[in-house]
Amino acid sequence: MDYLYDGTFEGLLTCVHHHYYTEKADGIFTKGVYQPSLLNGYMEVETDEMKATTVYEAIEKKISTYDLRRIYRVFLSSDSDKEMKILRYLVLGFRKGSAVSMLHGDPVVYDIESLEKKVGREKERMLQFVRFSVMANDVLYARIEPDHDVVELTAHHFCDRYRNDPFIIHDVKRNKALVAFQGQWYISHFEDRDIPDVSADEKEYRRLWKNYFDNIAIKERTNPRCQKNFMPVRYWKNLTEVNFS
Amino acid sequence: MEAIMEKLKILADSAKYDVSCSTSGVGRRNNGRIGNAHAAGICHSWSADGRCISLLKVLFTNKCAYDCEYCINRRSNDFPRASFEPDEIARLTIEFYRRNYIEGLFLSSAVEKSPDYTAERILEALRLLRYKYGFAGYIHAKIIPGVSQEILHQIGLVADRLSVNIEMPNSESLALFAPQKKPKQIFAPMRQITNTLIERNSLVGPGTMFKGKDINSPENYLGVQQISSETKSFRALSTNAGRETFAPAGQTTQMIIGAGGESDKNILTTSENLYHAFKMKRVYYSAYIPVVKSDILPDISTAPPLAREHRIYQADWLLRFYGFSVGELFNSGDENLDPDLDPKVTWALRNLDKFPIEVNKAPYEMLLRIPGVGAVSAKRIVRQRRVSAVKFDDLKKMGVVVKRAKYFITCVGRYYGERRFEPDTIKNSILQMENGLQLSMFDNNWKALEAGARQEKLSAAGVI
Repeated sequence: MDYLYDGTFEGLLTCVHHHYYTEKADGIFTKGVYQPSLLNGYMEVETDEMKATTVYEAIEKKISTYDLRRIYRVFLSSDSDKEMKILRYLVLGFRKGSAVSMLHGDPVVYDIESLEKKVGREKERMLQFVRFSVMANDVLYARIEPDHDVVELTAHHFCDRYRNDPFIIHDVKRNKALVAFQGQWYISHFEDRDIPDVSADEKEYRRLWKNYFDNIAIKERTNPRCQKNFMPVRYWKNLTEVNFS
Repeated sequence: MEAIMEKLKILADSAKYDVSCSTSGVGRRNNGRIGNAHAAGICHSWSADGRCISLLKVLFTNKCAYDCEYCINRRSNDFPRASFEPDEIARLTIEFYRRNYIEGLFLSSAVEKSPDYTAERILEALRLLRYKYGFAGYIHAKIIPGVSQEILHQIGLVADRLSVNIEMPNSESLALFAPQKKPKQIFAPMRQITNTLIERNSLVGPGTMFKGKDINSPENYLGVQQISSETKSFRALSTNAGRETFAPAGQTTQMIIGAGGESDKNILTTSENLYHAFKMKRVYYSAYIPVVKSDILPDISTAPPLAREHRIYQADWLLRFYGFSVGELFNSGDENLDPDLDPKVTWALRNLDKFPIEVNKAPYEMLLRIPGVGAVSAKRIVRQRRVSAVKFDDLKKMGVVVKRAKYFITCVGRYYGERRFEPDTIKNSILQMENGLQLSMFDNNWKALEAGARQEKLSAAGVI
């Protein structure tokens, strides 16, 4: 049986509940992208807060809080099979308890580990590569296009760092943004027309930064491959130092 | 703005030969108005040479009173000169920081007039940044050799990391290339920093695993006997000594590779001494790049010894994180590291009697010594084997570099490497694997490695 859910974390937890109490799941898909196959029938799983909470608490109690956080991070990835990977991990987890995260050799655990690593990596990259512009109303604004949906994971870091500056981190790919001020933040729908204007001396600081970036390289050691290893080209689109002209 | 642009250009250009750009070692929540410190450090960009940019790395001034042979800022070099005002640096740091371009400031300087005069200017800039602008991000301050104890202490109170450049691996080279810098002037501040950290019980990091050396006993570094009598660290008469922090990210230093005639063994012995005595966080190495003409230095067209720098960094990691000593890395009279193979493999091949190691039984310390196994994978092995045996197929998933490790391990009693367990056979296989082709075993020069695909690995300096 294939499950179709609404793409939310609560929806996925409801699917886990159904897997145990109704027919077993052979695949879990979001509603929009599902292509019916001949082999399996499908059913729409309606997100149910009660069932989701039951599963949520069961994970905390029978596996561990660590693993709960872990599957949430995995849920944020853009892997096409992440739902089934999470389900398999939870099934194993309910059997093994908190020892599940120690079974590095198990393929089910390995899948989760590698996805979690990807998401964690992407988050780190956002901490590195977010480039704010100071806008006319003194708001900091940044554009990002991460592979995985990690914008909310960056909130903790930036909220503390820019406690007195209101800022917006705009995920252009997903039309959403992290909006924060004085340690409070929320995620909202955001489009290009919502972008404020840039401040007067913003261009000057971009130029200074670009100038610094070019000057700090030692010509005798030029090594573009090494540079691209650390700073993959797909992120360059939103980097001030390589785009400024 | 144009004036700042010009200054930034000149003073960044002069600062770029300083290696360190790390921002790790201190985790701190925002305790000012803007900024915090991420314990693991964050690199924000990578310049065209593949070295990371995480700090705004500038000199306060490049007007220098000294005349060090290797240095681009030497007095006798005809070169554009500039100086920042303390407030200009502070403003620039804040504006860059707000835009998430940088993690903080790395402020170094040429010696203008005297060490104390220069250090006071640096201190003024750092205080402005911390107190006027409320900056809580990372600050790395370079200490000018010969600075007074009081000013050094004050700088330590506002900076996160301090560094004094040792410049050369031994005193002969130092006397030859940097005649105005005296070993005593370099070691006195290093000692003061370490003593202050010990006093405050805030010494952390890899250097602390070397126990049993008393920093205040007369030691013989760079051939200098008994550095000075006033070795007691200076403690400021500050009223809130309990709350303030002194250089929470510790101290580092840097030396130049390939300017004088030192061997790898000399260099690493000096590093080992620095780690033992001063509990350094890190020693940085920079391949000498000829920037000024000199009769006693390598010719200006000499390529920087990048491959050599890379091997030295690998050996340095073995010293700090893998429990090796310099004596083990060099035996049988070798003075230099093997250019073809990394020092861990070389060590393993020389000590094949200790191998193969059974991964399910060996203690953690031995697992660390297997080529292809690092700290993370060794810990995972130890963790998993408590619940189930580690099988050969598991190793790859744990992050072990199996293609290298397989020659040195057994897994549940079985050996997976070559049929012949001999140093030459294994060495050949590893070389083939690493280069995709058979490298001549007798070709022992650096040139063979300098060209081609392995270049990208060479910038260990850029990684952290």
